[in-house]
Formats: sequence, structure tokens, C-alpha cells
Amino acid sequence: MIEPHLFLAPDFQSKEPKELALLSIISQSFFQPFSIEDNLLVILTALTSGSGVGFNRAMLFLTDGDRLRGEMWLGPRSVEDARTIWEILSTPGIGYVEIIEHNRSLISLAADSLSRRIRPLVFSLAADNLTIPVTALAKNEILLVRDASREPLIDPRFLKAIDVEEFLCVPLISQNEVLGEIILDNAFSRQPIEPKDIKLAGLCGLLAANYISTATLHRKMVEMERLAALGEMSMFIAHQIRNPLAAIGGFTDQLLAGPVDETKRRRNLEIIHREIQRLEKIIFELGYFLKVNPKPPAPFDPGPELRTVLQAMELKAATEGRELTSRIEDHLPPILGDPIYFGEALRNLIINAFEASPPGGRVEIAAEQKDAAWVVVSIKDGGRGIPQAVRTKLFTPFVSTKDRGMGLGLLYVKRVMDACGGTVEVESEAGLGTTFRLSFRTPGEGRPDT
Amino acid sequence: MKKILIVEDEEDLCLLYQEELTDEGYDVTTVREAETALDLLRRERFDLIVTDIRMPGRDGVELITQIVGLRKDIPIVINTAYQSYKDDFMTWAADAYVVKSPSLTELKARIKELLSR
Repeated sequence: MIEPHLFLAPDFQSKEPKELALLSIISQSFFQPFSIEDNLLVILTALTSGSGVGFNRAMLFLTDGDRLRGEMWLGPRSVEDARTIWEILSTPGIGYVEIIEHNRSLISLAADSLSRRIRPLVFSLAADNLTIPVTALAKNEILLVRDASREPLIDPRFLKAIDVEEFLCVPLISQNEVLGEIILDNAFSRQPIEPKDIKLAGLCGLLAANYISTATLHRKMVEMERLAALGEMSMFIAHQIRNPLAAIGGFTDQLLAGPVDETKRRRNLEIIHREIQRLEKIIFELGYFLKVNPKPPAPFDPGPELRTVLQAMELKAATEGRELTSRIEDHLPPILGDPIYFGEALRNLIINAFEASPPGGRVEIAAEQKDAAWVVVSIKDGGRGIPQAVRTKLFTPFVSTKDRGMGLGLLYVKRVMDACGGTVEVESEAGLGTTFRLSFRTPGEGRPDT
Repeated sequence: MKKILIVEDEEDLCLLYQEELTDEGYDVTTVREAETALDLLRRERFDLIVTDIRMPGRDGVELITQIVGLRKDIPIVINTAYQSYKDDFMTWAADAYVVKSPSLTELKARIKELLSR
């Protein structure tokens, strides 16, 4: 017999070991698109929910430079509160998603008096005389505290805030980096903290530390990628601007250096004028291509817009010595999008196709209904085709095969298509030209993924 | 008269360099593509090459590598709008790196310096 099993069962029953339930809750949350804060909340939830380890309260401190700062505190505020929460948590069919949802609303409540109580708590990690909670971090040890009020090595402000006799300090340390600390207690049930609970809390501490460390790295990486893209952009723009500036500067200097004849004077001024126009075009294109802000997609008849674009492009084809043919299916259904951006995206692709085709070359436009869900508009040029190496970078900003291209046109088309829930595909073969295929959704039935 | 080959895809800049460097007393040839530059280098002798590093067709860095392979003794000046390639090890093969600016002073100075070595 072959029996399939899920990697992670969605819910654990009470008869299953709570270690498993706990690990399940935490590992499942790592697959969710939660924020770092939410995922930390999940870990605290796992430590305090009935199906998890079952501490009453969990307090999270995070390091901030050489200081340890109170971040959030999860748990009931009173015995009354505790009873209500435990009732909710023990409702049959309650899964981790519901528990997290519940805790998230608890944390976001303005009346989140617990978190408010620990947020002003800041401890120096560099202090000479170690007190709890910093001790656990400094020693990288899990510390169980009993008879707290009789223990001199506890920070008095901390003790006042937590106000229990027994609690557990779990340091969050990953690869020698001190990240924070979790403090757990049983303020309401008054159950003593068992060695088994300590082991599990330690495991959770490892997971949390690992998670914080990975998530922070990931955040840094995303930021670095953003900066790299910004660097690429400024480098490209600097390059685009320096060329006209060099020409303007050089030809101006010639005029300033001494008397020049009228022909040269006029020629220089024309060049300067032309290069200034080029600078203006760069600025215009940056504004135009980077500002894609269509209306929310709504059904419209693509026919009239298609014809308007084709009329204008036929004129352009004639002046530029290219041939434009079109095959537009009758009775196209409405498509979803913004008609203005639809027209602009088409115009861009057709102008590109003219530029890619040799003089006398043919550009073919076709529009047809592919099935109930999609209408496809394709633009085929008579050019040399796009090499594979370039094809993978087509929609990357500031990559252009054109001499003076900004490398923003196709990115623009892609963003327009993304905004209306459509797709853009490229098919290209050396010597056989390139086809761009825009697929637009119809508002009709039978949409494949809705 | 020292012969300079300029590889520059910008038409206006070709004209500018042609006039300005001729005024400085050099024999100037300008070409717009790296391929043409290589053909010319196989047939003619030049005392110095000024080249951009990103052009249609062959990349300028690649051109420099090929020129060095062809003629090790010709000084090469990279004249480009890209500041960032200055630290690219591929451009180390060049003898000078000039970032394009509205003034030709630096380019002229570098050329003079390299030709008087």
C-alpha cells in the first residue's frame, strides 16, 4: 500500500506530542509571506499557545547596537484574560493561523499594555556588572531564575516589569552574533518550569535566532540589490548625459577661443542646439517610461484604439520606408486594461519593430481572440532577431541594443502588461525577426486562474 | 607628425576631436566602430589610440585587448563617459583613463604626455 502524507500537517491534535506541534507551527510560519515581526510573533505564539510548549507569557528583547531593548510581550494581562484566551485556544479546529491572527490583533491593540510595559526597558550589553536579563546573553546560557525577589543579580526595573518569582531566559545567538532574548514565565498557571519545557524553549531559541539572522541577511540583500540597481541607473544616466555635455562644452570652447568664420559659428551652434535637445529627450524619456500609472484594469473594446495606433503608425512607416501590415480579427471581445497605456505599449513596440527592420522591411501586426479568456496582439519585425544573451536582459532597465536607447521601452511595456494582468512574450530567431506577443485577459468566464 | 587614431561612435564628438587635435598639430583619423579600427590598425601605423569603451558592435574593452595583442607598443587612452570602468581590471591595459567632460584640457594633456615619453 502506498499512502501519501503532507510534509507539514496543518493541525495537530492534542494527543500528539507538543514538541511536534510546536515545531510544526514554527516551520509552517517560515513558509508564509509574513514580515520579520510577524514571524517573531509566531515563535512567541508557539511558546505560549496551548498546543505549543504552553508557557503563559513570552517576552521578546532584541539587540540594537550594544543595547538590549524590549520589543514585545505576548500573553494574557490578567487571570481573567488568561481564562478567555485559553478557552479560545482550546476550541476544537483552531489552527496555528487562527492563533497567530488572534495574537496579531492582541499585539496591535492600543491596549497592549504588556508590550507597552517592556518597551521602555533598555539594558546596556557593555555594562561591567552583569544583571539579568543581560547575563544570559553574555554567558550564552539558558538561565532559569527561581525566587527572583531574593536574587540580587536581577535588574530591579526588569523584575518590577515581569513581577514573577520564576522565569526562564533564553538567549538568541546565531554565529556569535547576539540578536536578542526571550523570557518565559507561568505567571497565571503558577506551574513550575520543567526541564522538558526548558529543552523545548532552547530549541525555539535556536530557531528564532537562526530566523532573525537569516531574515536580517535577506533584508540587507534586498537593500543591496536596490542600491545596485540605483547605481546602475545613475551610471547609465551619467553616461547618457556626459556625451552631449562633452560635445556642448567642446564646441562652445571653440567659439569662445577666438574669432571663427560664420559657417563654423553656425555649425557649432547647430550642434550645441542638437545636443541640448538630446539632453531634453533623455529627461523626457526617463519621466515617460518610469511613470507607468494606469487606471485599475477595466473592460474596453480594443478595436478603436488599435485602429488609431495603426493609422498613426502607417504614416510613420511611410515616412521611414517600412511596410506595415495588419490582420485584426473582427468582433474582438472587450479586454481588461487601461486603453491609454494599451495604445502607448503598442506604439512603443511598433516603433521598436520599425527600428529593428531594415529599410523596406515589413512589420506585421495581428490581433486575435485566442480562447474565451485571452486576446493576443502580436508585433513581428523583419529584423535580424535578438541574440539569446540579449533576450534574457530585454526587460532589464538601462540595457539597450540601440545606440542612444535608454533601455526603458520594453520595461515600460512589461509594466503596462503586469498592471492589467496580462503577459508579454518574445520569440526571436536569428535572421527571422522577432515577435512580441501581448496577451490580454477578457472579462469573460473560464479564466484559467481565477 | 604624430598619428592619432580616434575610436568614437558619437558623430559630433568625432568632429570635435578631429578639429581640436589637428589644431594641436597631430595627424588625426577618426573611426566610428571598433571593427574599422582593427582593420585600420592592421594596415597603418599609429602613434596613439584614443577609444571609448562601449560602442555598438564590438565592446571597447575587447578592442583594447585585441589592440594590445596586435601592437603592444601603441599607447592607448580610454576616453569615455563611464567613470565606473576606471577600476575595471580590463582597462588596466590602457595607459590613461579620461572621463568625458565639457573640457578637452585633460584629454589633450594626457595625449601630449604619452607622446613625449
